[in-house]
Amino acid sequence: MKAPVRIQEEDFSQDDEIAALKLVSVRMGGIATFLGCARDFSEGREVSAISFDAYDSMALAEMNALRDEAIKRFGLIDARLVHRVGTVHGGDNIVFIAAGAEHRAEAFDACRWMIDTLKERVPIWKKEITPTGDAWVVPHP
Amino acid sequence: MITLLFFGPVADSVGQRRIEIEFSSGLRLGILRQQFAQDYPEAVRWVSFVAVNGVQARDDDIQIVDGSEIAFMAKFSGG
Repeated sequence: MKAPVRIQEEDFSQDDEIAALKLVSVRMGGIATFLGCARDFSEGREVSAISFDAYDSMALAEMNALRDEAIKRFGLIDARLVHRVGTVHGGDNIVFIAAGAEHRAEAFDACRWMIDTLKERVPIWKKEITPTGDAWVVPHP
Repeated sequence: MITLLFFGPVADSVGQRRIEIEFSSGLRLGILRQQFAQDYPEAVRWVSFVAVNGVQARDDDIQIVDGSEIAFMAKFSGG
């Protein structure tokens, strides 16, 4: 079985990730997921592709810490986080997060917290490739 | 040796992803920050975080040991 936290170039299967999460326990009554996808339009301009760079070792350590923290903080049964690097195009998958809990409330809360916190704490950078040039994305405060 | 690592916009601005420099005793993070700003004034505009051996470091007095990996990083934009 694939590791619950991964950074990879290749695409992932949501079905496989959810199946892996469900295998952990039959006590899981709610699974909340977030799928981040590439858009072909951003800040008023067309986007041909998005390129991701990462400080792999630190990013993986931070994502593992995020998972551990989410499990403890929200009482999850388990969680999975997968982020792609390299180049993706409009409609492609970028990031997948799944939170499995006994009940839906903690699953929803944890899933939201994990994606919000991933954006703040995980060293990954996004460059939008457009017909008029490339630009690194600077997050809004 | 000390390894300086650059990613994303910082790497683009510096023009490379890693630089090896000689270790000298008494080296502190603040000295490395100052040297980086002096050598790469364009790249330093991007830098919001520094990590020492994979852990974010905010204290310029942190002592750098031989073999350390120092990453100069822009604001994160993953997800």
